[in-house]
Amino acid sequence: MPNETERLLTPARAGREAVIWEMERNPNILFIGEDVVHMGGVFNTATGLATQFPGRVIDTPISETGFFGIAAGAAMDGMRPIVELAFADFMAVCLNPIVNYAAKTHYMSNGQFKVPMVIMIGAGGGYNNGAEQSQCLYSVLAHFPGIKVAVPSNSYDAKGLVHAAIRDDNPVAIMYHKATMGVPWLGTPLPTIINHVPETDYVVPLGSAKVVREGSDVTIVGLAWTVHQALLAADTLLERGISAEVVDLRSLVPLDKTTLVHSVRKTGRLVVTDEDYLSYGMTGEVVASIVEADVSMFKAPPRRVAYPDVPPPASRSLEGMCMPDASKIVKAVLEIL
Amino acid sequence: MSIASAPLVLPDDAWAEEQEGVLSNWFFRDGAQVREGEPVAEVMVAKVEFEIVAPRTGTLSIAVPQEGIIQKGVPIGSVRHD
Amino acid sequence: MTIREGVMSPNNQMRLWMYERMFRHRQFEEQLIAAYFEGKRPAFDMKAGPLPGEMHFSFGQEPVAVGVCANLDTEDVITTAHRPHHVAIARDVNLKRLAAEVFQRKDGLSKGRGGHMHLYDSSVGFSCSSIVGESMGPTAGIALSRKLRNKPGVAVTIIGEGATNQGAWHEVMNMASLWKLPFVCVVEDNYYGVTVSKKESTSISRNSDRASAYGCFGEYVEGNDADLIYVAAQRAIARARDGLGPTILEVQTARLKGHYAGDQNAYVPQDIKDKYFQDPIPTYRDRLLKKGASNENSLRAVERKISDEVDEAIRFGRESDYPDAVEALQGVFA
Repeated sequence: MPNETERLLTPARAGREAVIWEMERNPNILFIGEDVVHMGGVFNTATGLATQFPGRVIDTPISETGFFGIAAGAAMDGMRPIVELAFADFMAVCLNPIVNYAAKTHYMSNGQFKVPMVIMIGAGGGYNNGAEQSQCLYSVLAHFPGIKVAVPSNSYDAKGLVHAAIRDDNPVAIMYHKATMGVPWLGTPLPTIINHVPETDYVVPLGSAKVVREGSDVTIVGLAWTVHQALLAADTLLERGISAEVVDLRSLVPLDKTTLVHSVRKTGRLVVTDEDYLSYGMTGEVVASIVEADVSMFKAPPRRVAYPDVPPPASRSLEGMCMPDASKIVKAVLEIL
Repeated sequence: MSIASAPLVLPDDAWAEEQEGVLSNWFFRDGAQVREGEPVAEVMVAKVEFEIVAPRTGTLSIAVPQEGIIQKGVPIGSVRHD
Repeated sequence: MTIREGVMSPNNQMRLWMYERMFRHRQFEEQLIAAYFEGKRPAFDMKAGPLPGEMHFSFGQEPVAVGVCANLDTEDVITTAHRPHHVAIARDVNLKRLAAEVFQRKDGLSKGRGGHMHLYDSSVGFSCSSIVGESMGPTAGIALSRKLRNKPGVAVTIIGEGATNQGAWHEVMNMASLWKLPFVCVVEDNYYGVTVSKKESTSISRNSDRASAYGCFGEYVEGNDADLIYVAAQRAIARARDGLGPTILEVQTARLKGHYAGDQNAYVPQDIKDKYFQDPIPTYRDRLLKKGASNENSLRAVERKISDEVDEAIRFGRESDYPDAVEALQGVFA
């Protein structure tokens, strides 16, 4: 009996498969954003959708505050909009309709209104594009109660998380790191980004982290781009006889504390790596959550490898200094062994 | 190329002038079974992306690997009828 | 202006409908004012007493709410902002549950979670929230939903004239006009955004004139007169239903009790007060009698009945228990 043929789709394409599958079955799903009709979205999240679903893929004017509010209202009235924010940096333009309106409506109305909307966001840097175009900001939306946040790092998870997000009755942000989408103009994706994508629909549950590489000496927790850097670091560490376990967080909200605690209980050491700013973000949250559970399981203090608290610089030499990468992760691990 | 094998090429109008393109992503490994109409690769010419679909059902044969340069009229691979 | 009866005015039945709701609102807020300052004097502690938090009274703005709501059907939706009571009552939100929510008790519309600025009643298509201009996007989104799904209903939002300077207002007016959404933006021109007058904040004198910037309809109604507002709202809502797109319907009204409870309008010049800050209800009552919509005895009977209803609702609200503390942690997600 032959196995299913391996389908090595890019994460952008895999996520799109989920969108198409859901849009084929539910006429209330819309795809709204800038440049989604002719361009298919800046990062190929909507390629071909406008042709397949005429009238349901809508180009907006450059009015984020306006159309995020509009999407929230459409969701309250029974539609299920997918609304795209091309660059995470722009969330600063339109935070209010997302975090004050959409995220709070279910609670403030005592469940009279649900807001089932999916927010697709392109995040991250590493291609010298400058401070207002390179931020991750994963934890910004995560900080506000009422919105779920998931971050796929590979093709399989991209499709499964998008299915999960569209089926969820709450505002869900799917934050893709641009370098993990497989868009051709950002260079060749790392091999660990592309994996097999089953043809059927399937769900990767929101709020489930995954051990993507087992190990015994240290736990490295990553998100999106840093998962792949952690895997490269694990290869290097193995050459030195160190066995690293790599955990792909996959969701910030809900946060899978069980998987995290289980891993650190096994290894006793923790390095958390994030391309978002060091302070007041994901790395702090992960460390605090695990320490709170049981500080005695730590054989050494936890370490964080994150973007320094500086606006992302453009020049290659400067940005290289800031980006978390495999060598910085290796260094952090060696410090605590 | 035998009659049993259908080449994978970009449509002629994808090439504006004498240009090179690059093979961005293969969606299947060499030797995989593919179906007619299924996208099998992504190619980039200048900054424009194109999708290459399998012209028939059969076994994929890869001629140009990922990151390889491609030229007008030169197949990137083929699909062999079994 | 000379009003041509029946053409430029609602009929008497509609007048009575509107008056009842203006009166009900007025009674409701009279009682709220008394409750609000209970327990807070002499030193004002906002969290003390049966009615803590901020309070924004809509005394004087009743004609806008009733003039608009008189034209709405069951499938229509109306939203508003931080000064919502007149709209809620004009839309016939359940009075007891409204009172209980304003008193933040468990029998309220949202079991006390929302409070006076975040009122939701999905059964009558009403909601409000408190960031200025915030209702624009979601209300237009509801209109978009109806249009795309070919379902009936217009979506109307009632905002203040200060909100038209928010970025979101411009963005949504553009999109609503571009896509010809079944959407109406009613602008209550009570002349003040907290303490800043329209003249001090806005480069033009009429927001309805901004319609030309978006290629949509714009109308200004003077006088804070429910009959005039009724007729203009009817036009705007009909246009929205007919696919002609949105109207910026700006309506002169009077914020008689200041921005928040306790605000004495001290910064309002006397000539503005004399001209614009007049109570519309006594005038309208006189009109009912003059037009033969009712007589003194009937009207008093109706008013007594409404007063009793309001007394009961306020009592219900005050006597309702507070929600269980543990509920604070529930219901974030569907």
